[in-house]
Amino acid sequence: MKHLLCIAYFLFSFSVFAQEKFTIRGTITDASNGETLMGATAFLQGTDNGSVTNEYGFYSLTAIKGNYTLIISYMGYETQTKQISLDKDQTINFELSESATALDEVVITAEESEQINIKKPEMSVAKLNAATIKQMPAVLGEVDVVKSIQMLPGVTNNGEGSSGFNVRGGAADQNLVLLDEAIIYNTSHFFGFFSVFNSDAIKDIKLYKGDIPSKFGGRVSSVLDVRQKEGNRKNFNLTGGIGLISSRLTAESPIFKDKGSFLIAGRTSYAHLFLKAVEDFKDDKISFYDLNLKANYEINSNNKIYLSGYFGRDVFNLNKIIENGYGNVSGNLRWNHVFTDRLFSNLSMIYSKYDYQIVLDFIELDWIADIANYNLKYDLKYYLNDKLDLDFGVSGISYLLNPGEVSPTSSESPINYLKLDDKRAFEGAAYISAEHQISKKLTAQYGLRFSQFMRLGGQAMTTYVNDQPVIFNDELEIYERGEALDEIYYSKGETIKDYNGLEPRLGLSYELNSASSLKASFTKSTQYLHLLSNTASVTPLDVWTPSGQYIKPQRSTQYAVGYYRNFSEKGYALELETYYKTIKNRIDYIDGSDLIGNNNIETEILNGEARAYGMEVLLRKTKGKFTGWLAYTLSKSEQRTLGGKAGGPGINGGNWYNTPYDRTHDVSVTAAYQLNDKWSFSSNFVFQTGRPVTYPNGQYEYEGLSIASYSNRNRDRLPQYHRLDISAVYKPNKHPERRLKGEWVFGIYNVYNRRNAASISFGQSKVSGLNEATRLSIFGIIPSVTYNFKF
Amino acid sequence: MKINIYVILLAIFGIFMSCEDVIDVEVTTATPRLVIEASLDWEKGTLGNEQLIKLSMSTPYFDVTSDSGVSGASVKVTNTNSGEEFLFEDQNDGTYTTSNFVPVLNDSYTLEVVYNNQTYLGSETLMPVTDITNVTQSVEGGFDDELLELNVYFNDPADEENYYFFRYYEEGDLFPLLADLSDEFFNGNEVHDFWEKQDDEDNNEEAFEPGDTVEVSLYGISERYYNYVRLLIEQYYSGGDPFSSNAAQLRGNCVNQTNPNNYPFGYFRVTEFVKASYTFE
Repeated sequence: MKHLLCIAYFLFSFSVFAQEKFTIRGTITDASNGETLMGATAFLQGTDNGSVTNEYGFYSLTAIKGNYTLIISYMGYETQTKQISLDKDQTINFELSESATALDEVVITAEESEQINIKKPEMSVAKLNAATIKQMPAVLGEVDVVKSIQMLPGVTNNGEGSSGFNVRGGAADQNLVLLDEAIIYNTSHFFGFFSVFNSDAIKDIKLYKGDIPSKFGGRVSSVLDVRQKEGNRKNFNLTGGIGLISSRLTAESPIFKDKGSFLIAGRTSYAHLFLKAVEDFKDDKISFYDLNLKANYEINSNNKIYLSGYFGRDVFNLNKIIENGYGNVSGNLRWNHVFTDRLFSNLSMIYSKYDYQIVLDFIELDWIADIANYNLKYDLKYYLNDKLDLDFGVSGISYLLNPGEVSPTSSESPINYLKLDDKRAFEGAAYISAEHQISKKLTAQYGLRFSQFMRLGGQAMTTYVNDQPVIFNDELEIYERGEALDEIYYSKGETIKDYNGLEPRLGLSYELNSASSLKASFTKSTQYLHLLSNTASVTPLDVWTPSGQYIKPQRSTQYAVGYYRNFSEKGYALELETYYKTIKNRIDYIDGSDLIGNNNIETEILNGEARAYGMEVLLRKTKGKFTGWLAYTLSKSEQRTLGGKAGGPGINGGNWYNTPYDRTHDVSVTAAYQLNDKWSFSSNFVFQTGRPVTYPNGQYEYEGLSIASYSNRNRDRLPQYHRLDISAVYKPNKHPERRLKGEWVFGIYNVYNRRNAASISFGQSKVSGLNEATRLSIFGIIPSVTYNFKF
Repeated sequence: MKINIYVILLAIFGIFMSCEDVIDVEVTTATPRLVIEASLDWEKGTLGNEQLIKLSMSTPYFDVTSDSGVSGASVKVTNTNSGEEFLFEDQNDGTYTTSNFVPVLNDSYTLEVVYNNQTYLGSETLMPVTDITNVTQSVEGGFDDELLELNVYFNDPADEENYYFFRYYEEGDLFPLLADLSDEFFNGNEVHDFWEKQDDEDNNEEAFEPGDTVEVSLYGISERYYNYVRLLIEQYYSGGDPFSSNAAQLRGNCVNQTNPNNYPFGYFRVTEFVKASYTFE
């Protein structure tokens, strides 16, 4: 209520004390290629009146009539100044050129967008641009967005070869991953070895680990906002690369007489070509490919249209025995419209789909599962006055989930046709947020999101005796499936169950001095979709399921406080944050759960809760020949799953247990050194506490085999994970006048060939009959070479 | 063939530059528990009067020396439909035997074990099994088109849920191969299961060759035993690989009446089974 009063007060003061005010607005772009710049600053000299460009490069400034010097700046680009006499509303667009010095002497690798903004209440955010990501050493030379963010504090993954990433002790499905606003349900190729984002098509990424702006919702851990490049508006341009695993080619060009531009980027792996050459593998096929598209057209200065699309797929075909394919498809049509000089709007129509298919020839089975959604979104930004900006909007997402369809591939197949019930749901939301400079030192960000979720009919729902889908068997002390009572059919128009969530988002920033500040945030978030996975690694065939009668939405509350300091002279920046997060209704699986082909998932799960807390330190050096960062995280992530309605003590005796994402210590160091204009070097070092796992604590003989008995859930840990990678970039640059510019990237992954355990499995040796522990390690030392070019 | 997609994922996974090695790992050791391996299996067409129950104690995971057989217990099975009791005689080597057992299809049986003044009880129903209709060999089927495999066929009865347990064994092998199956995807169809061995030097395993003799037993089992043995088999063969589900404590159907916390391992099963033997040509 207080916040509303504040806003009202400012609205009021604005109208009463208004002197004659005018607005300047416009777009800030990169002079070399016309790409809009997000996070560039427009500032009136001698005042504290400034505006930062939004994701479409738009800024709007309002000030009292007068003469001013307008300063436009963006780190790594030359600052422009312009004398303006503000006596009417006006539109001024700027094109900034990259700093000339960048070419030979000091290369500034970190953009302004990666520096800490001391004043803004925004915290727990990490920004990386494509240039920084490309510089980091990568396995087999495959530059990888998802791997690069794991070098940041609070971000880990479940080991090489597992999909996704984990933020502040959260699960992979708790991350909202957006590619040009479209939801990406699976971020990995090759089961997690590589990510779906082609770095040549990516402009920048932003990861919100907490303090999530109110315009985002639907996931409880984080938001990874990935934005594609718009395409060069000045010249036709080709970029590409040839690597060991894949090759890339991107074409960009202006279209419609410079009123628009497009980008088309393709990437494909070619391991299968090598397989063909080997007799044993000639029938095998393992490949992935991506296609990124983007086009934009400026109708006039107030209207702009964007079209973006992504299509990616993995294909495996092993000796014609197993065929396996999966991939994401997404598309987004956007319309930017400027209503007035101070009201900016964007309407998005988004579609995305993820599907998974496996064909097993030897039993003549074909399995398909998918999730698709349509999303309509309208976002507005109102530059109310020099102290207050308002963001608000609405969105609606309609989901259709096909959790599985099994069909025989021939008439002789022993398989019966089976279709799990399609699931339908609708998620609507409205949000508002305001950034408000309360005093010179104190800035606040108030946000409020209201979300509503409806699980829709078109399927039958099973009811259970005593309304218990899972029952605790007191005698054997195990959880068992409940007894089905009846099936109730809901027609498509009916709502089976609805939920809603009121999600306040509050951020505060207090400036201690010009170089340091304290920030605090409070975030509530609701997640209505859940990824079902009872395996240690997230796999492509894990299915998503919506909340409903038996599965409640996950609700998280996160508190964070931080200290931020820029040592601007030397280009150092320090970020220190602590957080505490709780999540209600985090599901976990009863012992012996069976999720594959199960139409009644509720009989396999219990509703639990999770909590995570930790401290993160990030020390960055952003200027000079030597750049990089040191990240350290000390954290804990636990879960408790009580029996609840099912009775009994719950999973693991009702005690708290480590989640698989718990890492006590996590250290990441990344460093880059620019030797001269031909050579640059970089390296990564990672050290992590081992992943929590469950080891045997005894054995007994049964059916002539040694059977392991297991200790409490996730009581043990894999050995520590650590690794060093290095890379060198060589730019021959012999003929700087030529259009074709090439560079060689040499890399070594896991330099000291540490055999990090992806898993340790326990079993009986078929040779000796004795029990033994077998370590599976994925990547040993791997050298790589990649050639990148630009034309 | 059980649709274990995770095994397939693991195979795909293995194509990448992964490598496996045996390492030393320290594990904890829990207090030993009584293990009841009471498998009263009645081969179709026989009397089924000879039965054996094994009692032992669990040992540390890497322990290879302990003699874990348990003697001095009293073991009794009762047919709860007829009230008939069968006493099992202590052989003083961890085994308890009887030659008077009378199997009756679909009757319920109760097991009572008294050991160290603690009473363990379990109950189970004798499940019938369908016949194996055919056993053949082939090369084109299975995972590999060039290796021999054994094919087993039987007809799943429609109109009821059926659960199966398979035990495959090749003469000379150290261990049998266990498998489980529910008719969830195959109800009422002719079911085909196959066993194909790969050449694997690390595991001392060789593909089938003409002259190799294999044996297959097919058991009709209860849903509860299926749930138990499915997990046991999954855990035994995956043992913590990346696509295995959370390792969990297996709980059988025997309950310690005196001290429920000191629950036993193992299971009391009563089944009918059919057996076939085959020599590759």
